[in-house]
Amino acid sequence: MASFEFELTRNITIGQYLPTGSLIHRLDPRIKLLAFTILVIAMAICHTYVGNFIALAFACYLFYISRIPISYGLSGVKPAIPFILVLAVLQLLFYSEIASGGTVFVDYGFILITSDSIRLVIVSALRFIEIIFLSSVLTLSTSTTQITHGIESLLDPLKHVKFPVHEFALIITIAIRFVPTFAMEMEKMMKAQASRGAEFGTGAWWRIIQRTKDVFPIIIPLFNVAMARAEDLVLAMEARCYTPGSERSIYAKYKAKSTDYAALLFCILFAVLLLAFPFPY
Amino acid sequence: MTKPLIQVNNVSFEYSLNNNRSIQVLNEVSFDIFPGEYVAIIGHNGSGKSTLSKHLNGILKPSSGDIFVSDHNTKEQKLQREIRKKVGMVFQHPDNQIIATIVEDDVAFGLENIEVPASEMKERIDFALEAVGMSDFRKRPPHHLSGGQKQRVAIAGILAMKPDCLVLDEATSMLDTYGRRDILDVIRKLNNEGMTIVSVTHHMSEVAEASKVIVIEKGQVVMVGTPREIFQHYELLHRLQLDVPVANQLARLVHEYDHEFQADLIHNDEIVQEVMRLSAKRGVYVG
Repeated sequence: MASFEFELTRNITIGQYLPTGSLIHRLDPRIKLLAFTILVIAMAICHTYVGNFIALAFACYLFYISRIPISYGLSGVKPAIPFILVLAVLQLLFYSEIASGGTVFVDYGFILITSDSIRLVIVSALRFIEIIFLSSVLTLSTSTTQITHGIESLLDPLKHVKFPVHEFALIITIAIRFVPTFAMEMEKMMKAQASRGAEFGTGAWWRIIQRTKDVFPIIIPLFNVAMARAEDLVLAMEARCYTPGSERSIYAKYKAKSTDYAALLFCILFAVLLLAFPFPY
Repeated sequence: MTKPLIQVNNVSFEYSLNNNRSIQVLNEVSFDIFPGEYVAIIGHNGSGKSTLSKHLNGILKPSSGDIFVSDHNTKEQKLQREIRKKVGMVFQHPDNQIIATIVEDDVAFGLENIEVPASEMKERIDFALEAVGMSDFRKRPPHHLSGGQKQRVAIAGILAMKPDCLVLDEATSMLDTYGRRDILDVIRKLNNEGMTIVSVTHHMSEVAEASKVIVIEKGQVVMVGTPREIFQHYELLHRLQLDVPVANQLARLVHEYDHEFQADLIHNDEIVQEVMRLSAKRGVYVG
């Protein structure tokens, strides 16, 4: 058994901000979120080998200019590998009707492998990695606070259609704020239960029902605690004059600089290139 | 005579369990709190002291009787914001009152709610964090802070709103000795600068700091007075499951052996003074 069995707080990856003060770090979070969205859409649509390799190279380049070691990106890919593999097998076996063009390599019973279905498999794996890299750069170079501020101010126009933008941002903020708190709470509960003889994670992984049952003695008290905390939090918010739906002023104001616009323009051009350029493969 | 900041007039409060049963928590409570006072509200668990404190900014509303905060009745929904701007409240659990993911944003939360213009916010946040000695932590996430530091951030969040009165609802009970010391220093300083403090507590060393003590038992005010007056009633306090500060216990014990030693001392430094005084008088040298 690992000695870090109960050290949940050290494994929290949400908001693993790595301040290196690079150009990317200093960009306006709204611009980063916009650029991120545009690039993800472009990567999700682009379906050529060359285009995806260029996109991957671009994602790697982003690591370089944000001065974040690429190992951080790779460690994000590692847990996704089983998914990528399962997805690849499924696509190879069952997507042949959609991707039936090109040269036929194998045609045996229901299995039909063509150059198109192989392309589909490889391209989706690449997309996966690109998008993981890209989101790693985003979360490593932007603090969670900046991200929520960014989301709040990007969604601001939706106020006109009565979308509760601020409440939405507040929910995200509180959720993020309490992740480490609950992790610590859970750690305490696991230790308390373990000291009374409960066992966690000792059953074999295929005994899914057993493993699920193991979690109940933690989850239920955790819910309880969460409710109690929520009640306290409501009081504290009310004591500080919070009234849902009322007008508020906003502390964090961002002002986009010319470098921000340049970066956004560059990302848009890159996205257009990925989508419109007739790559040979 | 100056006008009271908070007037509590014949306040009763009951929780209704269901249609025909209710629990009486406060029973005809009356007292005034004047600007600049440092009031300690004490009582053992379940005496109603926490419920009482939640009435002071209109979180709970009296079932009968009235509470006025600078002439604003807490029952009036329209005045709620005004009242909460005047009376800030810090709660027991340091973890459950910080809303934002970094310190600075949390202090800003209250300011955003009362629509302080963004241009003014920075200055107020600087002031509040400076006042509680947390300026170096403004960009830190709250889960990297100790309990005492979190509680100081919570106080800063209230201070930035520039209230007249700060209510601490057992704000030090979850803290270690050092954390408590820090909070008490901050409170002492704020009170010296003119802030009205209401502290609900069961730590008697904190009570000794106050200028007025209100003792609550079964939802009723049992005693009101200065700490020195209150701690004279050692037996009554004992019956109410309340203690006296260690300094006072010590003074009493010594007094039994030596009647010249005063029994009504409540601060540690008073004990030292008294020992010095008596030894000088008797010609004994104390180093």
